[in-house]
Amino acid sequence: MKRLLVVFAVFVMSLVALPCFAISESQEKAIVDKCNEIKEQLKAVQKDDARTRVHLGGRYETILTSFMMPLNVRLLENNLSNVELVENQNSFAETKSLFNNDYIDYQQRLEELVALDCKKEPANFYEKLDKVRQKRKIVGQDALKLRNLISKHVRLVTVLRGKI
Amino acid sequence: MEEKKVEDKVSDEKKQKKKLNKGGWNLVILGIMAVVIAVITSGVSLLIYHNSGDIYLDRSRPGFLPDEEEIEEENNDDDEEEFKFDKTGPIDLTVLEKYLEELQAEVDAVNAYEKPFEEKVLSDESFGIPKTE
Repeated sequence: MKRLLVVFAVFVMSLVALPCFAISESQEKAIVDKCNEIKEQLKAVQKDDARTRVHLGGRYETILTSFMMPLNVRLLENNLSNVELVENQNSFAETKSLFNNDYIDYQQRLEELVALDCKKEPANFYEKLDKVRQKRKIVGQDALKLRNLISKHVRLVTVLRGKI
Repeated sequence: MEEKKVEDKVSDEKKQKKKLNKGGWNLVILGIMAVVIAVITSGVSLLIYHNSGDIYLDRSRPGFLPDEEEIEEENNDDDEEEFKFDKTGPIDLTVLEKYLEELQAEVDAVNAYEKPFEEKVLSDESFGIPKTE
């Protein structure tokens, strides 16, 4: 019984000790005062992001389907298959799919944020804004990873060209 | 005898009217069913469109339409012939050089976005929110 009580007490304490999302009065006031401006800014971000996503997504798709995949097939056909190039292609396809999913996740959160009334719920708005920031960071990291994989592909092909 | 004939005639007319009324109702039911089916299928389509994330790639939505400059750029891009590396054929120096040359155009287009999805855009400063004390 005592053990149970101790476990319960530890559980309650850990819940209390959990860091709650803090927002200062000045921040709350700024959100309420600039609510409309913030929303307009968020909508502009939404529009810009849609453009970036469509442009980059199109380029990624072209690089994968018109360059990486046919090259690896052709190399295999010529008995010149390169393990690193194939692995890089797989990583690229995987990261591209992650990028697509993470972008959807980010946009869903952003949509929720734009729909939220920041005048009535500034604290909730700020908390959600922080979550949207985290999601955006993930999308940015995916884009960076894809860029690095493209650079690696170019490097590998350049090395291959030197060997032929 | 004649009375019976008149009665029969009246009864026939009534029957025909009833038939017509029933036909009218069937038409109304058919119309309602068509509307219900259309609403359900449209709802399901919209749900799929939203949940699949296609909505976030659709730039024909109001407020997401491309600017004039962008449309011009896209038209120029469309004029350029799209390169696709052939899956078959020999591999030699010339082939790989051509490959790298064409790939470079795509790489440049990707790198044109210096910092895609930058965090700064959603920072407190950008919204004029004071930093946490």
